[in-house]
Amino acid sequence: MKYHILEKDQLECFVRSLSKKMKAVGPVAKGHNNYAFEEVTSASQLSLDYIPTILPPKKYFMPNKEKMIDFDLGGKTPSAQAALECEELAIMGVHTCDLAGIQCLNIVFNERPRDYNYLLRKEKLFIIGVECNKYCDEYASCALVNSHLPNGGYDLFFTDVGDRYVINVNTQKGEDFVESVGLDKAEGRDLAAMDKIREEKRKIFKNEVDIDPKKLPEIFDKSYNSKVWEKVAEKCLSCGNCTNVCPTCYCFDMEDFINLDLKTGSRVRTWDSCQFETFAAVAGGENFRGERSMRQRHRVYRKFKFPVDKFNRFFCTGCGRCSRTCMAGINLKEILKEVAEESKF
Amino acid sequence: MPKNEKKISNKPKVAFFDFACCEGCQLQIANMGEDLLDLLGVIDVVEFREVMSEKWDKDYDVAMIEGSITDHHAEERIKKIRSRSKVLIAYGSCATLGGVNGMKNSFELDEIRKYVYGAGYTYFDSTPTKAVDQVVKVDYYVHGCPVYLPEVVEVLKCALRGIPYSVPDKPVCSECKLNENGCLYEKGVVCLGPWTKAGCNSWCPNNGNICYGCRGLVKNPAKNAAKNIIEKYRLDPALMKNKFDMYNKAKEATNEPKK
Repeated sequence: MKYHILEKDQLECFVRSLSKKMKAVGPVAKGHNNYAFEEVTSASQLSLDYIPTILPPKKYFMPNKEKMIDFDLGGKTPSAQAALECEELAIMGVHTCDLAGIQCLNIVFNERPRDYNYLLRKEKLFIIGVECNKYCDEYASCALVNSHLPNGGYDLFFTDVGDRYVINVNTQKGEDFVESVGLDKAEGRDLAAMDKIREEKRKIFKNEVDIDPKKLPEIFDKSYNSKVWEKVAEKCLSCGNCTNVCPTCYCFDMEDFINLDLKTGSRVRTWDSCQFETFAAVAGGENFRGERSMRQRHRVYRKFKFPVDKFNRFFCTGCGRCSRTCMAGINLKEILKEVAEESKF
Repeated sequence: MPKNEKKISNKPKVAFFDFACCEGCQLQIANMGEDLLDLLGVIDVVEFREVMSEKWDKDYDVAMIEGSITDHHAEERIKKIRSRSKVLIAYGSCATLGGVNGMKNSFELDEIRKYVYGAGYTYFDSTPTKAVDQVVKVDYYVHGCPVYLPEVVEVLKCALRGIPYSVPDKPVCSECKLNENGCLYEKGVVCLGPWTKAGCNSWCPNNGNICYGCRGLVKNPAKNAAKNIIEKYRLDPALMKNKFDMYNKAKEATNEPKK
């Protein structure tokens, strides 16, 4: 493991060097305690002490409205060509919950048939994580799913130890950049300071819902017909915000757009949501999840049951976005507590 | 062909008509900019009162209808246009929903006629406001007050290709969140986004305004959730009803769209 240090007053220099090398984005304050990943060229634009952004960094990995093919219907036979639009991009200040989210997407898009658009774009992204020394707010449940500590998935990772950042270098790409900026190697006292932060974190971050995560798959085995889903459905607007903001929701739709010549056009991948009434509607008018209760249940099962069966991993990263963003007040932690309580009987 | 006869192109003939409206949607189209030139490359605009004085005496391939139907004369006129049009597109909230003209339907007809026209009100014909599809069959809808131009172009392309256009049936919130707007409710402002059809790319919230519901309600609006939200955010139910009525009143009439 390689560690370097960056004095806090050198952060400006770091961000400037990075943004000269490639486009750089990071968490920016948007007012009313909202944050979003946006382009930055100076450290003064960054808010590294932030609650999870409105949209997770997945917006750079699988952009909404992503061109997949260009087609031409004008010739004797229609023709199509694969398209990939991507650029070198540095994403700064990624929380551990969002790093876990990216790891989930990596697994999904590596499944066969592999998604080459995703995989090729990912190669262009330079990920700089940042450690949360304390909870962002009451919506987070990162300790439950063990995503409050760094667990790979980054090029560089910053830990704030007071007057400086200790930087964990995790890839060759990360090392090349650190060397180009000329950062000093971390010393024993820096690493000790980082260990102390981690020790403090163990005292602060405790399982937020008081359910043994190992028992969750078993709990959800019993909760398919739980009353919780009806209760949640009473509140649900089916606006799809919980899935839009989820770092691991990847469901998409494909749309064809034709140009005004009415011959050429492109096929575009857009984000879709299992919460929309139209999502599971099929020809003939059948809808497999016509009720809001079924759709909410599906969302939660897609985080705590199905991916555990398939990938042996929760697809909830504990970021709390779904609950934080829900203007109707649907709260994931409360859902978990209720199904756990019910499954006892 | 005689020399003085103008050569008629084989591009589809498109005509724009207005009924009870502010003509703002026409203005949007007239102000479209460069896209309008591209559009004129594939269609012939044969009637468009706001931008030209020529008229067309043959059938229309596409009729674009702005405005709602608010008197007997308008009913007859829209029926005539329908009979001459292969495809009819209702565009703008007045045409697709009845729009703000629908507020008239909250009053007794004679009472409102008196209020508007004074003592001689009987000389002015007036009927309860109707959306275009409450009088004739509508093939395509472009909701919005005013219409969102990228959608106008998409719908026209669908009409020209003879394929259906699906108006998004999900709340405006879905697009608002993708634009990373903070929720207006958290700022203490009431917004109709949660019940209104998306498709405008959350145009108003993007610019700091609320959603007024100009695209009409989604097919299955969340009624229980509305009750919860009224309670949670301590709203006045009467005020909420008023906000919904601003664009949606005419659609309260139970008659199904004409087939």
